[in-house]
Order: sequence, then structure tokens, then C-alpha cells
Amino acid sequence: MQKKLFGLLSVLILVSMMLTACGAPATEAPVVEVPAATEAPAEPVATEAPAAEEITLTLGSWRVDDVAAWEVITAAFHEEYPNITVKFDPTNPPDYNATLRTQLETGTGPDLYFVRSFATGRELFDAGYVASLKDLPGISDTFTEASRSPWATEAGEPYAVPIIAVSHGVYYNKDIFAANGIEVPTTWEELMAASQTLLDAGVTPFANGTKDAWDINEVVMMQFIPSNIGGYEGRLAYLNGERCFNSEEMVASFQQIDDMQPFLPTGFEATSYYDSAQLFSQGLAAMMLDGSWSIGGFEKDATDFEWGVFYPPALDGKDQYVTFHIDAAIGANAGSPNLEAAMTFLEFLESSAFAELLGNNLPGFFPLTKDVPILSDPIAADFMAFNSAAKGVDIRFVWEKLLAAPSGSVDAYTSLNNNVIAVLKDEKTPQEAADAFNADLAAWYEPAAACK
Amino acid sequence: MSQMISSGKRNAGLLSNENRRRITWVLFLLPALMIYLTFMAAPLFDSLRLSLYTGEGYNPTKFVGFQNYIDLFTNPLWREKFFGAVLHTSIFFAIHMVVQNSLGLLFANLLASEFKGRDLYRTIIFAPATLSVLVTGFLWTLILNPQWGAVNKILVAMDLKQWALPWLGRENLALPIISLVSSWQWVGMPTVLFLAGLMGISEELLEAARIDGASEWAIFWKIKFPLLKPIIGIVAILTFVDNFNAFDVIYAMAGAKGEPSYSTDLLATLFYRTGIAGEHPVGIPNMGMGAAIATITFLILMTGVLFWLYMSRRNSEEA
Repeated sequence: MQKKLFGLLSVLILVSMMLTACGAPATEAPVVEVPAATEAPAEPVATEAPAAEEITLTLGSWRVDDVAAWEVITAAFHEEYPNITVKFDPTNPPDYNATLRTQLETGTGPDLYFVRSFATGRELFDAGYVASLKDLPGISDTFTEASRSPWATEAGEPYAVPIIAVSHGVYYNKDIFAANGIEVPTTWEELMAASQTLLDAGVTPFANGTKDAWDINEVVMMQFIPSNIGGYEGRLAYLNGERCFNSEEMVASFQQIDDMQPFLPTGFEATSYYDSAQLFSQGLAAMMLDGSWSIGGFEKDATDFEWGVFYPPALDGKDQYVTFHIDAAIGANAGSPNLEAAMTFLEFLESSAFAELLGNNLPGFFPLTKDVPILSDPIAADFMAFNSAAKGVDIRFVWEKLLAAPSGSVDAYTSLNNNVIAVLKDEKTPQEAADAFNADLAAWYEPAAACK
Repeated sequence: MSQMISSGKRNAGLLSNENRRRITWVLFLLPALMIYLTFMAAPLFDSLRLSLYTGEGYNPTKFVGFQNYIDLFTNPLWREKFFGAVLHTSIFFAIHMVVQNSLGLLFANLLASEFKGRDLYRTIIFAPATLSVLVTGFLWTLILNPQWGAVNKILVAMDLKQWALPWLGRENLALPIISLVSSWQWVGMPTVLFLAGLMGISEELLEAARIDGASEWAIFWKIKFPLLKPIIGIVAILTFVDNFNAFDVIYAMAGAKGEPSYSTDLLATLFYRTGIAGEHPVGIPNMGMGAAIATITFLILMTGVLFWLYMSRRNSEEA
């Protein structure tokens, strides 16, 4: 009996432990974040009186990989403004939005922080957490309207300084191309023919897989879409309901995904983004569709062969558009006690000195100032050349307006991702996938429901 | 209370002593009770309260009554995700019951007899349970990797290329495979519990059976198995509770989204995505809905545990 009682008690305790474990992380999170974030505002108070005021600003970000580069940038800023020190304090990317929100809600947010484009950032502005930048000098002269608009209200009131764009392309192994007598393809048919040649020669043409899901969506599908739909103007037609999301242009994009399927690695369903990068770096696959942010990784890992980048050619009769995704901006915390110093830093972000520091310390991340600096990294310069060769550039298809699905409905990102994978797994034809994509959006996005 | 004191006054001596002992007993429980209330009961009830609210971020403030639950069961998307998670969790649990616990019983029986290298085998069987799930999950992901994993390399070397599948990339394979990996890792737990139970069975019983000419098979089913029943019950309920809370092995091998295409999405991963992490690329959690999912998980667990309590009480009354 005693034994049984013991067993029973231990089970009960276990059950409650599991349950509270479910609840715990949520309440823990703010507690953990507090010490690091409160440090900054506390310091200037202590050293208020003597000499020139020493101010330390924290800069929140999701770019954990870029600490070294940001240290160079903030050091350059400190040299110019010796009384202001900026501390780069990044958070793990998947946790960034939730962590930042918690910090802001509890009044422990960083003085400056990376702001996501469109709805996610707009929410913070509407809630009063991001300071308005309508009085920041120079912001409208330094950046084009297209660069500013992801972080501005409909009336054009800006609330963050755009700093980074990323591009997309096809990384290719020049040695493998040469060994198989392949030239860089200039049409989609040539690309498919080249892939067939490689496959016949026993080489995996593309390294991409679908285990991590996001990469096939962001760096493959969303590279094809702009050329098919006609860039920014084409995208607006979808947003306004002038085109349905299962239009022939969208079906054609899904068809390109379907065309690629035979050329993906064996077992692509369980091949992760990391595996893909390794396949390419080790020379086991001839090409990989990827973002410009991978330049640094490939320069470090893919050292045994010559490689370069080209842009996936448009379908016959279509103009070439490039997915040049405006990815990040920096805003100031409206509740920061050092708002003035934060504004000084934001102004620094408009300078050509910053653009040069960013472009050269973080190859593959492109500054958004109108005067583009000369980039020292040759591959980064190649990516920039895509922009000037193309008819136009645009951001990724789903970012504007299409992510803000209400609870219980599917946002465009998730729907596109699911349907792309369904096509690759032969569960849907391109037409069926486009129809499903349209139906998911029509369920909550009014222009899609009323489209012609 | 006053009655207790007055009665103590009247019969000063034996009874008051007993009363005092009873109060001391309660005092000893107090610290543990306080800890339990603060760190377990209070958050649990707060989580129940939270499930009635909605709003973004970590402080949902808008009271919506049972709307989260209504959405969970009536909105087609939520319903599909939720019942998918319930189904996957049940399959996950069933595979553990069949594979992990049957193997545990088998291993315990083998280890209960004397043979050379017994300790070594016991260590080998128990060793995986001492490793972090994230570590074993990551290692198995590599072993099963279609590009450089050992499993597919061996299959190809054996000329069984058609068997070299993307194990973690197919909807119908991923969940059973992950369940088997988890069973492999935890098989040591039921083994140890069953072994302890077998050791507790009196040698005289077994000897008497052998003298009567019972085969080993008959001894197992007629003597050992009935005597192990209470332990089987405990193992079953522990497996149930562990599996309906399982998160880490899925997170390590299939990611928080339960890839591929949500086919490995368990209640805990659904809860994590909904209530804590949010989904890429927006990543803003819906804590109210997350709490509602946690509450339903709690109800499922409670039903299971109460059922087990009822069964074990009935069994002990019968015996």
C-alpha cells in the first residue's frame, strides 16, 4: 500500500511538474531579460554631473551572426561622437519579435532596435513603442520612397531608418560547369537543359531541399515570382484585387518549382538548409539558390573550387526582375531616456560612411542609401549588378499586407510555403497549388476574395 | 479547533498528545505545500485564467470568455491543427507503449537471469536515457540524413538503393521514426522499473512452480506477469504523461513546426508555436490560445491519470 501511495504521489507531482513546465517559460522570459536591458539607462544617471555626459545606448537586433561587423560600425560612430557608446545586443532570430515586445511592454527595451518591415514593425509604432522620425533631418533625401515605405505610415511619416537589403541568386560551381561544357544560362530553357546535362553526367544540379521549409519559399519561389508577375507594379495588381492569386503568372511560378523537382538532390524532402549549403560547399551539387547573406559562409567553406552567382533567368517573353528584399531598419525606443542620443545615431545611419562600413563589413547585406558605395567584395558587387541589369527590383512577394492574417486563417507566407512543398512532393499540380493559395488568401484578404 | 482544545483540556494526557502530533505533522508539510502552491498550483491556475483572454505579446488583456476554446474546436484551421496534434500525440504514445515498454519488459526478464556480461548489457540499455534528448535527436538526424547519414549509406552499399528513403522528410515515415528513436532512448526506464519488480518476486514462488514442472513461458505469464501488474500500471501512466508532454525530441528532429507539413506536430509543439514562439516570419505569439491548448492538454492528462487511479484502486480491492 505504501509503495502504491508513493507511486501515486510521484505521478501526481510529475503531472503537475509537466504542466507548470508548460506555463513557466512565458513568465520566465521577462525576468531573464531585465538585467541586461536595464543596465544601459542606469549608467548615465550615475555619471550625470561631471564633464560631458557619457551615454551608453543599447542596440537590439536579430542578427546574432554579425556581432563583429557591428562592433566595427559602432566603434566608428563612437569615434565621431566620443560621449556616446552604442552596445550591439542581439537576440536569437526566432525569439526576436516576442522578446522585443516583452521588453517594450515591461519598459526594459533597448534604446535602439532593428524594426521588422510592414505589419510587424507597424504594430510597434501604433502601440507607441517606436519614436516617429518625421523630424529626423535628411531621411527623405537619403532614401528612396520605396526604401522608406516599409517603415512609414500611409501619410509618409517614417519611424525607422532603412539600413539593410538582401538579394537572391543562384550560386554555381564554375569548375563543374566547365567540366560539363556548360555556360551560364540566359533563359529558363537553357537552365533546365544544363540541369539535365548535369544530371545525366551524375552530378546533382541543385543543392536545395525542403526539410527546413523556409528556404524553398524565400530563396527559390520568391525569386521566381517577380519576373513572372512583372515586379512591383505586378505585385500591386494582386494587392489591389486586379489579379487573383491563382492567375496564370502564379501558376507559371509553381510550374518552375515543378520543373526543378527532378534536379533536386536525392532525398531533398529531408535535406535541410544547412545540408544544402554543405552539398554546394563540398562540390557535391552544381548550383544552389540562396540569399546574398551566404556570401561569407561560402567564402569560408567553398574553397576547393571556383564559384560565382547568376540570376535565375526569366521565362520566355518575360522581363527580368530581381528580388531585392528590404529587410531591416533601425528605430528608436520612444520611451528611452536617451532619445536625443538615439536620434544622433539614426542620423549617422544616413551617412555614406555608414553605408560603406556596412557594405564592406557585411558582404551580402546591402546599404539602402541612394548613393551606393563601391563594394569591395566581388560577389557582393555581382549581386548589385543584377539590380542594374534588371528591368526592376522588388521585395519578396508576400511581405507587404499579406502576412497579417487574423488568428485562425493562413497567412500568405505559410500558404505559399505549404503549396510549394506540395508541388515538389507531387501532391498538387501547379494549378491546384495556385488555386489553394488563392483560396487561403480569399478567406481573409478582401481584395483576393473580390479579385477579377 | 476550539473543540479540539477543549477536549484536550478535559482529557489532559493521551488525547492532547495525539492532537499535538497531528499538528506537527501538518507543520512538516507546510514548507513543501508553500513551494507547491507558489511554483506549481498558482502558475497552473494563472494559465487557466489566461486561456480566457486574448491579445498580442505576453500580457493578453482582453477578456473573451471561452472564445479561444470555441475557436479551437470550430475554426477549421485550428480544429485541423489541434486534432492533428492529438492524433499524432496518440500515435507517438501508442508506439512507445508497444515498442518501448514491451522491449523494457523483455530486457528486464533477460537481465533478471544470471549470465555473463549482464552488467554490461544493463549499462548499454540504460545509457541513452542519461543523454540529452537534443544530443541524441541531433545525432539520429545525422544518422538518418539522406545525404551523408549512415543508414542510407549502408542501404546503398547493400544494393538496396530503393530502401534509402528520406526518413525524416516523408509525412508517413517521420512520426513513426521519431517515436522509435525516442523509444530507443527511454527503453532503459521501464527496464529498470520492471527489473526491480522482478527482483521483488520471491524465489520460492518460482522454485515451487519449477518443481511442479511449469515451463519458463508459463512461469512468466502465470506468476511474473500478474505480480508485475502494479508496475505495468505505473510504467503505462509514466509513459502516458511523458508522451503527452513530449516536445524536445520533435524539436530536435523535426523542428518546432512539426515538419514535414505538420505531420509530427504534437500537442506540446503546437502549444509552443501558438503560445510562446509564434510562427516564422511574423513570430508574435497568441498566449491566450496557447493557454487554451495547454489547458486541454492538462484535461487529457488528468482524465488519463484519474482513469489509472480508478483502475489501480479497483485492482487492489479485488486482490
